[in-house]
Amino acid sequence: MLIGVRKEQELADHLSQQQAPPQSYWSIVRQQFRKNRMAVWSLRVLYLLGFIALFADFIANEKPIYAKLDGESHFPVFRSYAVGLGLDSWEARFFQNSWHEHDYDYVIWAPIPYSAQTMDRNNRNYVAPGDEQDVPSTRFRHWIGTDQLGRDVAAGMIAGTRTAMLVGIVAMSIAAVIGIFLGALAGYFGDERFSISRIRLALNGLGAFLAYFYGFQARSFALSEGTFGWEIFKSLALIAAIMSLVNLLAMWLKGKGVWSRPITIPLDLGVMRLIEVVNSIPGLLLILSIVAIIEEQSVFYIMAIIGLIGWTGIARFIRAELLRVRNLEYIEAAQALGYSEWRIIARHAIPNALTPVLITIAFGIASAILMEAFLSFLGIGVAAEEVTWGSLLNLARSKFSAWWLAIFPGLAIFVTVTVFNLLGEGLTDALDPRRKQ
Amino acid sequence: MLQYLLKRLLIFLPTLLVISLLTFGLSKMAPGDPVEQRNRDMGGGLQRELRDADRVYRETSEYLGLDKPVFYLSLSSEAYPDTLYRIFKRDERENLVKLIQQYGNWEAISHYYHAIRKADRGTEQLLGKTEAVRSVRPLIKQLYLAYKDERISSLLDKAASQTAGDSTLQATIGISVAQLQETYSQLKTQASPGRLYIPDIKWYGFDNQYHNWITDFLTLDFGESFIDSRPVADKMGDALRWTLTMNLLAIFIAYLLSVPIGVFSAVWKDSTFDRVTTLLLFVLYSLPNFWIATMLVVFFTTPEYGMDWFPSLGLGDLPPEAPFWQRFVEAGTHLVLPVFCLAYGALAFISRQVRGGMLNVIRQDYIRTAWAKGLNSQPVIWKHAFSNALFPIITMFASIFPAVFAGSVVIEVIFNIPGMGKLTVDAIFQRDWPVVYTVLMLAAVLTMSGILVADILYATVDPRVSYGKDKN
Repeated sequence: MLIGVRKEQELADHLSQQQAPPQSYWSIVRQQFRKNRMAVWSLRVLYLLGFIALFADFIANEKPIYAKLDGESHFPVFRSYAVGLGLDSWEARFFQNSWHEHDYDYVIWAPIPYSAQTMDRNNRNYVAPGDEQDVPSTRFRHWIGTDQLGRDVAAGMIAGTRTAMLVGIVAMSIAAVIGIFLGALAGYFGDERFSISRIRLALNGLGAFLAYFYGFQARSFALSEGTFGWEIFKSLALIAAIMSLVNLLAMWLKGKGVWSRPITIPLDLGVMRLIEVVNSIPGLLLILSIVAIIEEQSVFYIMAIIGLIGWTGIARFIRAELLRVRNLEYIEAAQALGYSEWRIIARHAIPNALTPVLITIAFGIASAILMEAFLSFLGIGVAAEEVTWGSLLNLARSKFSAWWLAIFPGLAIFVTVTVFNLLGEGLTDALDPRRKQ
Repeated sequence: MLQYLLKRLLIFLPTLLVISLLTFGLSKMAPGDPVEQRNRDMGGGLQRELRDADRVYRETSEYLGLDKPVFYLSLSSEAYPDTLYRIFKRDERENLVKLIQQYGNWEAISHYYHAIRKADRGTEQLLGKTEAVRSVRPLIKQLYLAYKDERISSLLDKAASQTAGDSTLQATIGISVAQLQETYSQLKTQASPGRLYIPDIKWYGFDNQYHNWITDFLTLDFGESFIDSRPVADKMGDALRWTLTMNLLAIFIAYLLSVPIGVFSAVWKDSTFDRVTTLLLFVLYSLPNFWIATMLVVFFTTPEYGMDWFPSLGLGDLPPEAPFWQRFVEAGTHLVLPVFCLAYGALAFISRQVRGGMLNVIRQDYIRTAWAKGLNSQPVIWKHAFSNALFPIITMFASIFPAVFAGSVVIEVIFNIPGMGKLTVDAIFQRDWPVVYTVLMLAAVLTMSGILVADILYATVDPRVSYGKDKN
């Protein structure tokens, strides 16, 4: 009976919508999304988190935003960017005394006047938020306590926001690039549409071998000893050169005898097998074992690994969409116009398949953030001096009475993960064509 | 169906191959030398004579099977000898590789290496006899691990000047030090880095580390732990007991609660019950389990907050002779919190899936027909709707399967329970590769079998799904 009532309502909705002027796809999606109050709120929280991550240096910093010292004006936070780039350097007095010890004429501190790494010597050994704190004024209170070294937890949380957002976004960008590329190949070409001449296949195989050999094997000493970024760039340039040379050669040799006969490569089959293989790799264990053997720990490795194994969902979505889209008339029209396959894929096919991927990306960011938090909770994968939500939470295990270390960082992880999950849910609902009627 | 099954099983092989290569490659890239580590752990840190130390090293590395070539073949250049793996010490071998990468002339490098060893032996024989050797010997030792030109030259110069400054030294090892200098300068003059650019594939045959490991693995011989020499299968058996207990309990509880919750909140969609449970389940689903676990540990297992209701971490320390009942209670009280942590996430996940599945089914026409026929709500809900909403519950089986094996890593580490997860994490940190290999491979097998089982169950539940005929 309930169902009957609902049907009537849906019918009424349907009728009222039919009278409205025709809408674009995106305006319908936006309208549907706005109906979901939770999703709208989570979007607002996400904006806030993004703001914190972006302006973390201005929210929690031991350096003043503006300071007048001996009649001179300083903007230390801005200046630290220049110093970081090597364009500027601090005067000796800023080295010798900590930022809080100067006798400023006038000073504007960041809302939290501590950096994540600042050790407040007067408030060491887990000072609780409500405890009496040895600070010059309320302005310098540690509002949510300190850890054993006297580091401000609030400042750590702000720094952690930046790390978490960075991990989520970078990891999922890597995953999206790989997933969209492979999924589009599999979906658009399927098993039968991708064929290349024998000569090109053979030469590309040879080229890949030579590129690997000259790019990495022969240059391994330079790669391990020289400045890494520059050397890897040289290697990649070499590889690109070899591959393009090989393809030019193939173009020249094309149309000569048996070698020009085309071979069909079942791309769909290959990509689906690859997805199966990647999906059956136990992700957490693999990440643990990779991260545990890396000597120089950095959060960027975690991002890369999460991205490299997290693309399968996106690839599946894109593949399914393109398998459907590739037989539609507008694609056929584009083919008839003589556009190249790659142009059709990039300009016509993918843009129409991209929206459902947003859902996977939203959920993917949530799980990437969770993964990073867990790894830093175990104390691996991030550099020791880096403060993240996970590493803060881990501190709670060494001091059970420090409840603020157990509650606040965990809460931050929870809120962020929830926000992305809710966004994913909201998008799923908004993009569901069944809801439109 | 049988054909389909065989086809699916055949796909297992390439996947396993990839994972085996991945883990094996990882273990070879990992820093640290398992042989040294084992010798250290076995209490072999004593100062040994060179020949003795070499013998012990060789024996350990033979015992661990690490004296064989690593893989069937290697892609390197002309400059590399195909007997490099016979330099059995890992750090020395890696240093020689760095020299090859610079100079590309193995003959000269090998002369230089032998000169180092000769000088090393020479200084060792002098150890008790003259004090002066104490300043030269460390220089020679450092040569084993030096590959940069400035470093080697300065070490050689220092060694030469110290040898020349002392008459006994000059008389005994003077020649070998001079030889060292000579071979090194030859190495530099005869350098042929061009050979580094000629690719060369070397074939090592089947008696290699990877082959030995993978054939053993396929005959279910998982090897012995590097750390305590216990068979890996034994270690895993012990650990698996706890993991299985915990996970089966948690999954059982989760299913027991989530099926009715999911079904009812779908049937009475948008009712207060539905709204409240949906919100609650969503919150539960998003709560990171390591946070909840930490909070439970902090608040409920310590006297700090007056809520010391549960025993502390681990599984208690009753001896195995204690009466079964007592041990049962002991383990039981220790497992309450971990099982709760495992169950709530699964509960939220499964309930949401059940609700989603039911919602999809309920809007179908045949359900409306069933209502229209005037059937009671019970048969409509359970017989018509639920049996058709079973698919998501079945596919979930696939994701729960491997979770039994490795998913409780987080919980086991936090609650210090000696299960599979903790075993794996410990093995990874201690670089106990036989254990890591086995866990990763078995986890992959379990994941794949889980998916396969789910697909087969899917076909049994839904007669429309058939794997025999279609090609996709």
